[in-house]
Amino acid sequence: MRLSDLVIRAAYWLEESQRYRKVKRAAYDLLENPHSTIRPYFDFFMMMLVLTSVFVLLYDVRHQLGHWAVKFENLVVVIFIIEYLARLWVYDDIHRHVIEVYEESELINEPFRVSRALREILRSKWAYVSSPLAIIDLLAIIPSYRPLRILRLFLLFRLFKLFRYAQNIQEFGSVLREKQSELFTLLTLLLFILVIGSSAIYLFESSSHGGEVHGFFEGIYWALVTLSTVGYGDITPQTFEGRLVTMVLILSGIGVISFFTSIVVSAFQEKLGEVRDRQVLGQLQKKKDYTVICGHGRVGQVVAGYLHQDHQPFVVIDENREVVMAARRRGYLAVHGKAQRLGMLRKLGVGRNARRILCLTGDDVVNVYITLTARQLDEKIEIISRANHHRTMKKLMLAGASHAVEPFKVVGLIAGEYIGQPVAFEAVQGILMGQEEIALEAVRVPRGSWLDGRRVEEAPLEELRLILFGVITPLERESDHVRHHYDLRAHRFQFNPGADFVLLGEDMLLVFGHRYSILRLRHRLKR
Amino acid sequence: MSAKGRRKIVVAGSGPVALEVARQLRERGEALCLVDYDGERLKKARLAGFEVQQVNLQDDDELLSLGLGTEVDVLFSLLDNDADNVFLVISARALAPEVSIVSISETEETVKRLQAAGATKVIDPYQISGYRIYEMVHRPVIAEIMDRTVFGTDVDLEIAEIPVPAGSFLDGEYLDRLSLSSRYNLVVLGVVDRDYGDHLIFATNPKRHRIDVDDVIVVIGQREELERLRKEMTGSA
Repeated sequence: MRLSDLVIRAAYWLEESQRYRKVKRAAYDLLENPHSTIRPYFDFFMMMLVLTSVFVLLYDVRHQLGHWAVKFENLVVVIFIIEYLARLWVYDDIHRHVIEVYEESELINEPFRVSRALREILRSKWAYVSSPLAIIDLLAIIPSYRPLRILRLFLLFRLFKLFRYAQNIQEFGSVLREKQSELFTLLTLLLFILVIGSSAIYLFESSSHGGEVHGFFEGIYWALVTLSTVGYGDITPQTFEGRLVTMVLILSGIGVISFFTSIVVSAFQEKLGEVRDRQVLGQLQKKKDYTVICGHGRVGQVVAGYLHQDHQPFVVIDENREVVMAARRRGYLAVHGKAQRLGMLRKLGVGRNARRILCLTGDDVVNVYITLTARQLDEKIEIISRANHHRTMKKLMLAGASHAVEPFKVVGLIAGEYIGQPVAFEAVQGILMGQEEIALEAVRVPRGSWLDGRRVEEAPLEELRLILFGVITPLERESDHVRHHYDLRAHRFQFNPGADFVLLGEDMLLVFGHRYSILRLRHRLKR
Repeated sequence: MSAKGRRKIVVAGSGPVALEVARQLRERGEALCLVDYDGERLKKARLAGFEVQQVNLQDDDELLSLGLGTEVDVLFSLLDNDADNVFLVISARALAPEVSIVSISETEETVKRLQAAGATKVIDPYQISGYRIYEMVHRPVIAEIMDRTVFGTDVDLEIAEIPVPAGSFLDGEYLDRLSLSSRYNLVVLGVVDRDYGDHLIFATNPKRHRIDVDDVIVVIGQREELERLRKEMTGSA
């Protein structure tokens, strides 16, 4: 009774302890967390350790290294043991199991039994211990135990430990795992042929028949050498029957080898895209505040082109593999997949590092869906969406889009304006599209600069040949004139303010003018 | 402009783009006719209240019967397919050298092709939308202002071309000395002088421009202010 109380109290204490959680979190970041920044360094360190220890082992075969080698070996083993135990610890939380079992027993009014909790713990820890990577870890440690010195050979298992630290090799493994059933079929076939071939050769070529095969093991050895088309020739068939068996074995060997090659090649071909996608996602994890562009149709291409020109980080996702390839050829980060999937968006860093997401596919349903999913993942992310149909606008806003653009509406507006005033409209359009020498730019009045606190008429606008379109101020600033202002999301736009409008620091002058004039104004405000 | 309602406009196509354009034009009080070869889709346009006509757009005679070359002032070629648009622009240009032709293109290459075929203006919806989205990303405040003022749906500010009548108070003034911004709450962007061609001479141009009769000044401002300027200019003439 006393013991179980103690266990429960300890479990709750661990659950509440901030420090324990912090330490565990740090260990997780170091060992397992694929997104942590420190893990790559740890992996590299461990790889070096493995390689050095194996090198020392091999060097030791012919040379005497003295007690330093022994000390180094001990150090390595200690590090490995600590790592093994730490991974076992990080794998899951023991105290959670205790709490779960305890609360469950409370619920059904039964006394709490430590043995049941222990069973749960052992079961979940065993799941880790019996996983392939954990077995490799263990095999890298055990042979160092002196009484088991015969197992020295298994020290080479340490090399397998490299799997753990190199993601590329893990990818290789995962690709082959996809083809498990085919490889298993092949293995069965291979064993079948091997057994038949070695029995046959042992029958016909045993020493009693004047042959060179002195035992069944030699039969197996010969069959495998022949089957793999290596054919050392140290054992050769002498009898007619033996040669017949050889010929059949060689032919089936060619079949088995080509079967194996084709499985591996096709596995990689199928997985090549996925492997590349994973590489892109890996690169993406190192970036911050990037833009996710969903859909690489015409609109998506235009946006990506501008962002690329501006050296702004972004990633493209499209359902069409050819489109993704085309984006990659332009040097963009691109991923193949469906952006409406929650998992995909999460992989792309929505809710983590992504700053904004653009839904630009040609399908409104998809755009609404992506908008909804992205908003669900991240409250603050900026979502700009394309509405191909007028009625979608409202739905997009309801789904949580920050802005929406209607390409067809834009055409309508342009056409309408164009009919009225073709020249003016074309000119303004040209300015806004950045196709003219004249530009519309916002110039910030730096706090404490000479213009801070001065009136509009004192700004050197006329001298620099700039037209003032308006001033962007904080929302609470009143226009001191009969002039109009327009409230934006976070700013107030004072259209055409009067000559005595007072400019304050952090206000922005919105001016039309030659790019050079605008540069000059910026330069003057810096002083 | 005061020419509203006098022009005859033909919109070719009845897809979403064409309907949107027609809607915008109708809001501005223009008279227009939607034409297409697909009767099914025209039905939808008719339900939306537009004047429609089923026409084989590849047949020159039918195009002539629409009034192309005689009555039609502006033709919008807004078919779904780039090839169809190019073909229509070429036939229309051959029939009517004077007509204004506005078309849309799906790809960048078609823009040049349509211009070569004789289109007066080619709108690339995807390019423009893409650029707008980029502006929202790149300079969100300016994009928001333009949306709220000049390019949005229910906007307050308008861009207007105002012709200068003979003898008005602007006649003979220098472009950079107009000071309309204090007198009228208008921002002067520039002037179009027909003697120098059709392009806009910006108010910032270092070559000083003296305004004379038949020049058109381009200003941004509220509708009432624009009207006041128009009235007072004709009044002073």
